[in-house]
Amino acid sequence: MHELGVVIEVIKTVESFAQQNGLTKIDTLVLQIGELSSMIPKYIEACYPAAVDGTLLQDTRLKIEILPGNAICKKCNKVFNLIKNNMVCPSCTSKDWEILCGREFMIKEIIAC
Amino acid sequence: MDTYKIIEIKQSVFEDNNKDADLLREELKKGKTFLLNLMSSPGSGKTTTVLRTIEALKEEMGIGVLEADIDSDVDARTVAQTGAKVIQLHTGGMCHLDADMTRQGLLGLGTEGIDFVILENVGNLVCPAEFDTGASKNAMILSVPEGDDKPLKYPLMFSIVDVLLINKIDVIDYFDFDLEAVKERAKKINPNIKIIPISARTGEGIDEWANWIRTEIKKWKQE
Repeated sequence: MHELGVVIEVIKTVESFAQQNGLTKIDTLVLQIGELSSMIPKYIEACYPAAVDGTLLQDTRLKIEILPGNAICKKCNKVFNLIKNNMVCPSCTSKDWEILCGREFMIKEIIAC
Repeated sequence: MDTYKIIEIKQSVFEDNNKDADLLREELKKGKTFLLNLMSSPGSGKTTTVLRTIEALKEEMGIGVLEADIDSDVDARTVAQTGAKVIQLHTGGMCHLDADMTRQGLLGLGTEGIDFVILENVGNLVCPAEFDTGASKNAMILSVPEGDDKPLKYPLMFSIVDVLLINKIDVIDYFDFDLEAVKERAKKINPNIKIIPISARTGEGIDEWANWIRTEIKKWKQE
């Protein structure tokens, strides 16, 4: 369980961004989490209220977008979802592939004024 | 009514820590302290390996140790008996250290006259792999009883380390542990990984390990 520490980091980053840009109210915070990252959206949501308590983001809503964990097969060049296909290429059953996306953990945007 | 607008940030959450880690690496370089981040699962023999390493190198360099644990100071007490400078860091439930926590630890330890600091990270093969501590080099220990499938299960950890110590090699005959399979699996993920089988208990392989450290410190000083 390392989500709380990481969410606290996110809050710090957003707070300093808000200060630098003269923002006073943040309505929504949008995070992007890859399916292959070690961050579990459910846990992020669970620890979010504790992490924002007493900060500028206290009343900010949290929105999480999931990015697919896709890979390209090195044998047949098929692009496929690793989770749905059990880490095996669905067209040629090769396990030799390269990750294209899905490890991300990004602060995508904020809705603020 | 306030007008809200969407502001794109598009920043990786790890970016702040990565920048901070680069900064810490520069600071350490100026202070001439080589920092080794040592990671492994709990019970792999990290502390015993640290003791052996200190023993092998203490005559030629000033050594410091940062012991990171969720709680207790048993490791720091053990290491302090060697005469090395040691400080215990409590992560308070956190499963890894980041660059800032490492910097605070180094400040607490005091790096004056210290050439080589070992950061004994929290016993965990998952999160420490994602957080750059600012170390000059990263090492991990895999012990024989843990099994030869670990590179398959924790690929990120194996992909970020410079050296892999395979500890408890003295008991390999009692376990279904395929050393060649581990080497192949680790090299597939990380072709440049250096693999050294050791036994922190008997001292086997410690010479090679100590040599690796000497060489890396020398290279680092010349960079």
